Amino acid sequence: MLEQLAKWARTRSPWVFHINASSCNGCDIELVASLTPRYDIERFGAVLVPSPRHADVLIVTGTVNAQTKEPLKRVYSQLPEPKHVIAIGACAATGGVFKGCYNVGQGIQDVIPVDMFIPGCPPRPEAIMYGVLKLLGEVE
Amino acid sequence: MSTDFNKRREESAGLMEYSAENLVPFGPIHPSLKEPEYFKIILEGERIVDVIPRIGYVHRGLEKAAEMRPWVQNMYMFERTCGICSFVHSLCYGQAVEGLTIFQVPKRAEYIRLIICEMERIHSHLLWVGLMGHWAGFDTLFMWVWQDREVVLDLVEAISGNRVHKSMNAFCGVRRDMPEGMEKHIVERMKFMTDRARYYRDIIDTEETMLERTQKVGAHVTQDTVEKLCAVGPMARYVGLRQDVRLNNPYAAYGEVPFEIVTRNEGDVQALLRLRLDEIIASANMISYAVENLPDGPIKVKIPPVIPAGEHSSRCEAPRGEIFYYVKSTGGRTPDRVKSRQPTLANLPLALEILKGQTLADVPVVLTAIDPCFGCMDRMSFLDTEENKQWTWSGEQLRQYGINYYFPDRKKKA
Amino acid sequence: MSENILEQIGKIANETNSKVVTLRKGETVIEVEKDNLRTFITHLVQDLKVRNLTTITGLDLGQEIGIMYHFSYERETIHVRTKVAKTSAAPSIVKIIPGAILYEMEVHDMFGTGFEGNPWNDKKLLLPDNWPSDLPPPLLKSSKPAEIRKRLHLEAEPKK
Repeated sequence: MLEQLAKWARTRSPWVFHINASSCNGCDIELVASLTPRYDIERFGAVLVPSPRHADVLIVTGTVNAQTKEPLKRVYSQLPEPKHVIAIGACAATGGVFKGCYNVGQGIQDVIPVDMFIPGCPPRPEAIMYGVLKLLGEVE
Repeated sequence: MSTDFNKRREESAGLMEYSAENLVPFGPIHPSLKEPEYFKIILEGERIVDVIPRIGYVHRGLEKAAEMRPWVQNMYMFERTCGICSFVHSLCYGQAVEGLTIFQVPKRAEYIRLIICEMERIHSHLLWVGLMGHWAGFDTLFMWVWQDREVVLDLVEAISGNRVHKSMNAFCGVRRDMPEGMEKHIVERMKFMTDRARYYRDIIDTEETMLERTQKVGAHVTQDTVEKLCAVGPMARYVGLRQDVRLNNPYAAYGEVPFEIVTRNEGDVQALLRLRLDEIIASANMISYAVENLPDGPIKVKIPPVIPAGEHSSRCEAPRGEIFYYVKSTGGRTPDRVKSRQPTLANLPLALEILKGQTLADVPVVLTAIDPCFGCMDRMSFLDTEENKQWTWSGEQLRQYGINYYFPDRKKKA
Repeated sequence: MSENILEQIGKIANETNSKVVTLRKGETVIEVEKDNLRTFITHLVQDLKVRNLTTITGLDLGQEIGIMYHFSYERETIHVRTKVAKTSAAPSIVKIIPGAILYEMEVHDMFGTGFEGNPWNDKKLLLPDNWPSDLPPPLLKSSKPAEIRKRLHLEAEPKK
C-alpha cells in the first residue's frame, strides 16, 4: 500500500537533477526554457532540485569528456533507487557533431545506463516535456 | 581584523603578484573526496582573498577536429561551441575563410547577417538578465524575462527554422532568405521589445532586491585594470571604454546601419545590468532599420571547396564580447590551423580580479555578471584559511547561501 | 592614426631586427626573434599604447613551434610571430601584459611549450587531470585523436 503511494508520488511529481557533462549549453537553455511560463513543465509536477540525493530522475546534457566522466558516475551513484536517466540531445546520445574529437566520448550510455534519449540539436522544450512524461508513463 | 584584511587585500589585488602557492593543505584530505571543480576560492573568514580557475570541463578538442574536416563542415561544428552565441561563431569563422578567397559577400546577405546577429544579442542579454534575477533571489524577474525572450526566439525560428543553432551562414552568404512580408511584423515586435527593456530597466533601478545585490557590488575596477587584463565587450564598456568591434572595426553591414555604442561609468554590477538592457534597445533599433532598408539581390555566392593558401583573422562582437578566429590554409580541402578565442576566456582574469575582496554571498552575482557559460557555475570549492575549513558547494547551494545572507527574514525554499 | 601606427611599428622592427610582412589591408605580421620578443612587446604596449592582446596562438611548423601574439588597434590587426624549438621554453610576457596568463597556459597545454616566468606554468588549463604524462600534446600534427581517446578511457567498452 505504501509502495503504491510512493510510486504515485514519484510519477506525479518527479524531482529532477540536471547535470551538464560538457555541453555547449544549447540543450541546457532549452531545458530551462521548459520551466518558463510558455512551456511550464512545473504544471506536470516536475521540479529541479539542488542535490542529487533528493532526485528521482537525472537529466544529462552534453557528451561526456575525460574531465566530466568521473563526476557523472559519482552523481549517478548518489541518486537513491529507483532512479531513471534521461539523455537530452544528439551529443548525449552519440557524441553528436563532435564525434571523433579527441576529448569526447561516444555518448553517455557508455558511462551510465540510460532510460530515455531525447534527440535534437537542441530538442525543443516541447520535445523535452514529451520525453519526460513518456518516461513517467512507462514507469507507471 | 579589518585593517589586517585590507592590507592583505591590497597586496593580493596587485596584478603582478600572482602567487603560485595558494593552497595550503589542511588536515587529512581523503583522496577520494577530491572533486574537480571550476573555481577554487580561498577565503579569510567571509572575504575572498584569491580565486584559482580550472576550466576544461567543456574542452572537446574542436581545433584538432577542424584540421580533419572540410572547410564547410567546420562552420557548423564551430556553431556548436556555444549554444547562446552560435551564429556569431559561424559568422566569424566564415569571415576569416572568406578573406582568403577572391569572392565578395552580397549586400543582402550582409544585412541578413546583421539582423540575425542582433536578434541573437537580444535573446542572449534577456537570458542573462533573467539569470541575474534568479541568482539574486528574484525569480519573478527570471520568469517574466524568459517569457519575453520567446518573442525573439519566435522571430528567429520564422527566419531560420531553429531557435538555437540557426545554421544560417554559408561561405559568402546566408542559406535562407528573409520570408516575404515579415517586415511590418518584425518592426512591431521590436517596438514591443524596446518597451519591455525599458520596463525592466525601471525594475532594476528601483526594486529593492536587485538594488541590494547589485549596487556598488564589485565596484573597485578601474579602466587601467581592464586594459591590463585585456577584457572585452560589456566588461570593458561598463567602465567607460569605447571598445566595441562594431564601432572600431565594422564587419557585415555595421558600417552602413546607424549604430550607437552603449557605455557606462559606474563599474559595478548594476552598471552591467543597465548596459545590457540599453544594448537591447540599441539592437532593436538596428534590426528595425535593417529590415526596412534591406537591399535586393542574391543571398549567396558559390565558392569552390578548395581555399587558397594564406592566413587570415576575423573578429566579431558577440553578446559577451569579442570573438576572434585565426585561420591558416595550405591550399587544401581542410584547414591547416583554426584558432578560436571565446570572450569568456578573455574576461576570466578580470572576473577573478573583481572577486577579490568580495564576500562569499556576492560570488554568484559577480560571477554571473561577466556572463559566463552555464557550466562554469556548477561546482566550486572553498578553502577558509582562518577557520581551517574546506568544502565544496554546487551552484544552487551557493545561491541559497547568498539569498539567506542578504535577506535573512525570507523563508528558505524547500 | 592607423597608418601612423604601422610606421612606428616599422621603426621598432628595425631596431630589434624583425621583419614586417603586410598580409593585406588591416593585417600585418611581424616576425621577431625569441630573444627580442620581450623588448618588442614592451615597446608595443608601453610606447605605442597597443594594449589589447586578443590571444596567443600556437602553430606546429614541423621542426619548430610558432607562437603568434595577436593585437588589435582600431582597424589594424597586428600579429607578432616568434619561433621556438619543440623542446625549449618561450619567454613569458605576463609581467608586461597580465592578461596573457591564461593564453600562455593554453599554448602550454596544447603544444607543450613552457613559458618561463608564468606563475601558473605548472598548472593545466584545458587538458583533463588524467592526461598521461607520456602522451604528446594534442595539437601537434603527429598526435592522433583516436589514440588520445583510448588513453583517456573514452572509447566504449565492448559489450559483454
